[in-house]
Amino acid sequence: MNNPSDTARITASLNLNAVMRNLEDLPLYDPVTEEMIKEWNVSIRFLVRHGPSATLIFRDGRCVFDESNSEGARVRLWFASPAHFNSMVAGNGSPVPLTGFLKLPFLLNDFPAITERLEYFLKPTDESNRKPEYRALNTRLTMYTAAYALREIGMHDPEVTGVAQHIRNGTVCMQVKGGDPAVHITFDKGTITPGKGTVPDPMALIEFQSVDVAGDFLNGRTDAFTEIAAGRVKIAGQTGMLDAMTLILDRIPLYLE
Amino acid sequence: MKTYTYTNQQKLFKRAAKVIPGGIYGHYSPAPLVPATDYPFYTAKAKGSHIWDLDGNEFIDYMCAYGPMVHGYGYDAVDKAAREAMKNGSCTTGAPPVMVDLAEYLVKMTEGVSWAFFAKNGADTTNYAVMIARDATNRKKIIKFHGSYHGTTPWMQGRGHHGVIPSDVENIISVPWNDLEALRQAIKTHRGQIAALIASPYLVPAFQDNDLPLPGFWPEADQMCKNEGILIISDDIRHGFRINLKGSHAEYGYDPDLVCYCKAIGNGYPISACLGTDELKPVAGRIFHTGSYWFQAAPMAAALASLKAHRELNTPKKCRRVGEKLTKGLVEVAASHDYHLKVSGAPAMPYLRITSDPTLMLHQKWCAEATKRGAFFTSHHNWFMSNAHSDKDIEKTLAIADDAFGAVDKEFGSRFKGRREEE
Repeated sequence: MNNPSDTARITASLNLNAVMRNLEDLPLYDPVTEEMIKEWNVSIRFLVRHGPSATLIFRDGRCVFDESNSEGARVRLWFASPAHFNSMVAGNGSPVPLTGFLKLPFLLNDFPAITERLEYFLKPTDESNRKPEYRALNTRLTMYTAAYALREIGMHDPEVTGVAQHIRNGTVCMQVKGGDPAVHITFDKGTITPGKGTVPDPMALIEFQSVDVAGDFLNGRTDAFTEIAAGRVKIAGQTGMLDAMTLILDRIPLYLE
Repeated sequence: MKTYTYTNQQKLFKRAAKVIPGGIYGHYSPAPLVPATDYPFYTAKAKGSHIWDLDGNEFIDYMCAYGPMVHGYGYDAVDKAAREAMKNGSCTTGAPPVMVDLAEYLVKMTEGVSWAFFAKNGADTTNYAVMIARDATNRKKIIKFHGSYHGTTPWMQGRGHHGVIPSDVENIISVPWNDLEALRQAIKTHRGQIAALIASPYLVPAFQDNDLPLPGFWPEADQMCKNEGILIISDDIRHGFRINLKGSHAEYGYDPDLVCYCKAIGNGYPISACLGTDELKPVAGRIFHTGSYWFQAAPMAAALASLKAHRELNTPKKCRRVGEKLTKGLVEVAASHDYHLKVSGAPAMPYLRITSDPTLMLHQKWCAEATKRGAFFTSHHNWFMSNAHSDKDIEKTLAIADDAFGAVDKEFGSRFKGRREEE
């Protein structure tokens, strides 16, 4: 029920800051991606007018997602609007390169290959989901996406900014039993700061009995209330924070399909 | 002390999850019970202040069906009245005559009202009261307090909640409880547009300490509203009959135009009531608000018997006494384990919280361990006392609470001992 420009802006922020951020982790857990990027030495900055910006830095077989305003990227891609950026993510549009024209072949061939790989791990099919290693990585990346999406939606979606502002200060930890994968989200006077990994002494905890329980939960294949009552998902601490978080997380499908 | 297990419950819940959203929905959902697996979900039998679950576990019940049970489960006088009424039909064409007796009794009992309207649930009456206020004042806006609860209809739920659209809540103004300046400012900002202030006698948010009105708050708020032609709706659904039999407004010093009751009116029989002043009676009469089962005789007969029992037993006095005895005992038990247990709200419906751990995890562990030993303690919601709770119940509860702290110590060690939240 947001206006279209709000929706496009939030979707762009999610696409960049929550989804594409996963390129950081993909090579760490997927040998295919690791092999693909092992020779890459390039930084790509995405600049969206009236929208988000961030840089992906590929070096030494690793990828770093940098949200700071770094100017040193070799390739700078400009998008006229959030909608323009979103259309590129959907495979229907092209950016305007501001610098790095010599890298055009890379942008046209190599880079899309890893974004396709990311898409493969974020969009499970019945077939892909049969493989335990696929489910493990899908769960990890979906959890990371949720944590960063929570920041974008909680701070920018007018339907739930009021909800986010009333969440008590403190850190919520979401994890699979044993602590990996895990994310933590810190709420402080209306600001939301997500991070990867577990934290000691969170203000509230949501813990999944196994990777598969987490995967089913995060992909919307199970119902939260049922899973909690059955003991497969454990919640503890200031659970009011989790209730509010859920209202925000439940809006992700409005932006990401 | 032996702890309970819930084998049969999980079997039934598995079936339930296939055909009922969430398995069990609403405020009976196990989800806020932490951890849910330590709590009974289903009640197979209830009597007095005790419930038994599907696995045969017996609990001293400090939730009282989240408020409706006030004289005890299976209270003879109320059940008998309902049974007698049932002999003449359950839901009949034509209103049951007992409706008039009930209205007369309730109006006489409640301070400052001259008529009564009956429905089934609390939200039926808060919705009706809001309609009356809007119709009477020809204004749209309603003031409520942050963290207050007046039912689940969309206007009451906050923006961003599932199924709520912005227009549902665009005329709801929320201000901090006990903050006269904020209330004054809201009234000033929306002068001439506010139909009503809807409020509980004191604030009973979930997951938080309950908050009694500050001295002078209600008389001043009452006057502010009257000066501006704003009606006051007293949502006495949760508090009603446990605080003051004339209505909780008589206890806290305000003069509402409309009063909503449910929970403890009928000792478990489905009935709610909206009461109002003489001036609002014609307005109430012209608003169409009804439901298929709102004219059942049995709940009305039960409510009449229940109201008489309230008077005979002096429910507020009894609930206060057992509430004070229970909470004083629990605070002492907690202190003997070097924990600080804070009690807030009225003793008849206290909210308890161990402040030594700000995350509530230690408190949740204690409540769950007590429940597994037979004292049903929730950690997220105020408890309810009843006329059925006995000194023997309290004695047993204190022993359970003490033993539950042993389990807490095993998990948390001395980490939080000696700590307390700054007041």
